[in-house]
Amino acid sequence: MVRNLVARLVREQHYAVLCTQGEGQPYGSLVALAVSDDLRSAVFATPITTRKYRLLCDCDHVALVIDSRSHSSVDMMQIEAITATGRARQVSPGADYEQEANLLVARHPQLKLFVVSPTTALFHVDIIRYFHVTRFQEVRQWTLTRG
Amino acid sequence: MDSDPWVISLDAASCDDQRIGGKAAQLARLRRAGFRIAPGFCVTVAAYEQFLRDTQLQLVVQMELGRKPFGELRWEELWDTALRIRNRFSVANVPLAVAQSICRAVRLLGTHTPVAVRSSAPGEDSAQRSFAGLHESFLHVVGEEAVLESVRLVWASLWSDAALLYRQELALDPLTSRMAVLIQEMRTEDRSGVAFGRDPRTDENDRAVIEAVPGPCSGLVDGSVDPDHWLMSRATRQVVSFRSGRRENDEQAAPLLQQSDLESLLVVVDQVESRLGWCPDVEWTGRANRLTVLQARPITRARQDPNDKRPWYLTLRPNKQRLRQLGQRVAEQLIPELRELGDRLAAEDVESLDDAQLADCIQTRQSLLEHWKRVYWDEFIPFAHGVRYLGMYYNDAVHPQDPYDFVGLLRGEDMLASQRNQLLRALAQQVQESAALQRALQQAVHEPEPANDFKWDAWASQLPALAGGRQFLTNFQTLLRQFMDVAFGGLRLSDKPTTLLRNILELASQMRPPVAHAASEDEEAIRSLEQRLLDAVGAARHAEAREVLRLARLSWQLRDDDNLLVARLESQLLRALQAAGNRLKAVGTLNADAEVGTEAVAPIRAALREPAQTPLSLLAFKPANPRPTLRAPGEVPRQLVGQPAAHGLATGNVRVIRGPQDLGNFHAGEVLVCDAIQPMMTHLVPLAAAVVERRGGMLIHGAIIARELGIPCVNGVANVVDLLQDGEGVTVDGYLGIVTVGAAEFRLETG
Repeated sequence: MVRNLVARLVREQHYAVLCTQGEGQPYGSLVALAVSDDLRSAVFATPITTRKYRLLCDCDHVALVIDSRSHSSVDMMQIEAITATGRARQVSPGADYEQEANLLVARHPQLKLFVVSPTTALFHVDIIRYFHVTRFQEVRQWTLTRG
Repeated sequence: MDSDPWVISLDAASCDDQRIGGKAAQLARLRRAGFRIAPGFCVTVAAYEQFLRDTQLQLVVQMELGRKPFGELRWEELWDTALRIRNRFSVANVPLAVAQSICRAVRLLGTHTPVAVRSSAPGEDSAQRSFAGLHESFLHVVGEEAVLESVRLVWASLWSDAALLYRQELALDPLTSRMAVLIQEMRTEDRSGVAFGRDPRTDENDRAVIEAVPGPCSGLVDGSVDPDHWLMSRATRQVVSFRSGRRENDEQAAPLLQQSDLESLLVVVDQVESRLGWCPDVEWTGRANRLTVLQARPITRARQDPNDKRPWYLTLRPNKQRLRQLGQRVAEQLIPELRELGDRLAAEDVESLDDAQLADCIQTRQSLLEHWKRVYWDEFIPFAHGVRYLGMYYNDAVHPQDPYDFVGLLRGEDMLASQRNQLLRALAQQVQESAALQRALQQAVHEPEPANDFKWDAWASQLPALAGGRQFLTNFQTLLRQFMDVAFGGLRLSDKPTTLLRNILELASQMRPPVAHAASEDEEAIRSLEQRLLDAVGAARHAEAREVLRLARLSWQLRDDDNLLVARLESQLLRALQAAGNRLKAVGTLNADAEVGTEAVAPIRAALREPAQTPLSLLAFKPANPRPTLRAPGEVPRQLVGQPAAHGLATGNVRVIRGPQDLGNFHAGEVLVCDAIQPMMTHLVPLAAAVVERRGGMLIHGAIIARELGIPCVNGVANVVDLLQDGEGVTVDGYLGIVTVGAAEFRLETG
């Protein structure tokens, strides 16, 4: 099941490449990520002075790339990757802010002060689809159903 | 206890270096061999590893140490890093199983028994190198909670500033470095000291060195008590030489140890050497049959590198008794002497001296300046650590979330720089209130001639006729005389009145007034912090806490004043040199365009004494060339990272201040970029939208002033002066320590 493969990879990997876009130009950024237990959402944080923050404000369509290169850098056929696509929204201080921040800090305790800084924005991503890639060519797709 | 993975008795058979560290393992061996060693136990390295696993503090250490290339961290930044790590360790919970084991072992020693809690890192001492004193020790600790607290701090001291300084030699690595903790009953005897089996200074095998102090050994180890010192022959047991320690209030002139005491110590040294197989350095307490070995380690063979500044830095580490002595000497003797000297030299009429007298005057001033620069390094800088002592003391007592809360206690001290800045603000206020004065100042600063040719006398003579002009002139002259007769970057600031007039105009016209703090609110905040400290230490330690506070405040105030007072002395040397230079130029003995700075003292003196000599030629004044930028073609820095030193977010254009020549170019609302804010330039900070410095540290001038004014500050940004350019738009995030270069592309709304 793709679900199990995705669950294992997001458990092993702490970081992802966030893909954003603006005026037709794609942009990639490395982010520290936490994925919810049900794999339906992810959370990350960014300083508000960054390009990715501006792009996220202008367009909420994002992709996240997570891979196992750090584990299998020699044998390319062993590398796994997932691309998660979805919609990002900034989490404003309020009901779910603490829950989202806790999810991220539990995964990355060293980011506690970064997450609570007034110049840091917290983003929640509703994941719509996962693409799981093995052997660079073998791709399986898992679309999450929204109830 | 033997099967307990977290603590192990010193009597247990399985005491090995990797499990309980070198110090504890040696003592366990000696105890088993029948030496008198205080009973105790060791918290194993496994306990430290479990603590790290549970708290994930290794991630914090990794993040702190990875902030920037290690070689670029200045010692202030190392201290800050260590303070932050220490704070995180001190507020983290010890795993329950570990805490229970420690408490059980404490109860076995006796819950009311005072104990010593000391570091015991695997492989910390060897014949090649000793790392004594890099980690923390706590003495007279009583009770389970207090022991747990001390254990946390000893663990944290694996990452102390001193240990970080020797990071390479210690092979410090957040993933692999470990620390055990030794806990022993305190032994308080009437004599303590150290005994070296070989003279560590000469490596002579037959010469042993014994040092003794009255009371506990801590006074000797931290350098606060001067010991009696014997050089002994190990073969004949005879004293080769003796030097009595100089101790205040020490009525007892007789040596602290008798011949029989010295011989007993040599026997212990012999036995330790024979048992452990190396020539030892033994720390001991007590005499005759009460002689207890506190520690034994190999004598270090390595010769010190004379260029290694780290041992000097270690001598700066705060110690209350030394701070108290320094505080008294600095505040009551040195600063008044330096102030009086500056006043006296400033009042001297150097123009009326004949050539020989002027040459003598220059020589005297140079000697005085050199003397006071030595005093600055030897006594003023060490006393500056009073602020750091308060930081450790406050954090240990209060355990604040923010390890820099204590800085709030330093607010509002009456420094020379504050008095100067107040006078500058008063002058700006006068300019704001008088359109005529404004016009006069604008005319002065827009004069086409270089600042050096500004006709001050002619300009000043018109002021009394203007509204508010007479008062302005009086105040401005006071400013020049009292506060600006200082050297900065080899120039006298009082020689640059137009620079100051520009600053005053900017202050008067600033678009963004400085954040106003109501004095009563400030006082209330200080009182509240003080109360937190007093509540945390408890009534029995109120007097101690107040003294730590007093020393820190004095330290902070004088740390600023001493810079200005030494700069004032340098200004007096420059004044005499200028007088000499003008005289020599007038008679053609010196080239007319020569720049006469402090490096020209010798030739100028020689020329004054021997006017018949061949004419002197010195380099002409040349405006400093802008340094080459570190930007490669096509490369632009986008985000620079430093330390968040004062909270806030601001955008503005860069103004790089490299020296005195740049001071007059600073405009309100610009981002002040410099190597480090000097006391001679703090008056610019209220004009700035933000401050960015290459030099890092939470307690350096720029950081503290920016915090007081509510201006964002990012410091410790590597090469920033050579990476940013005047006029470039930047955004300074003082929360995260990020400087973003280029137009603001983000939304400032954070909600």
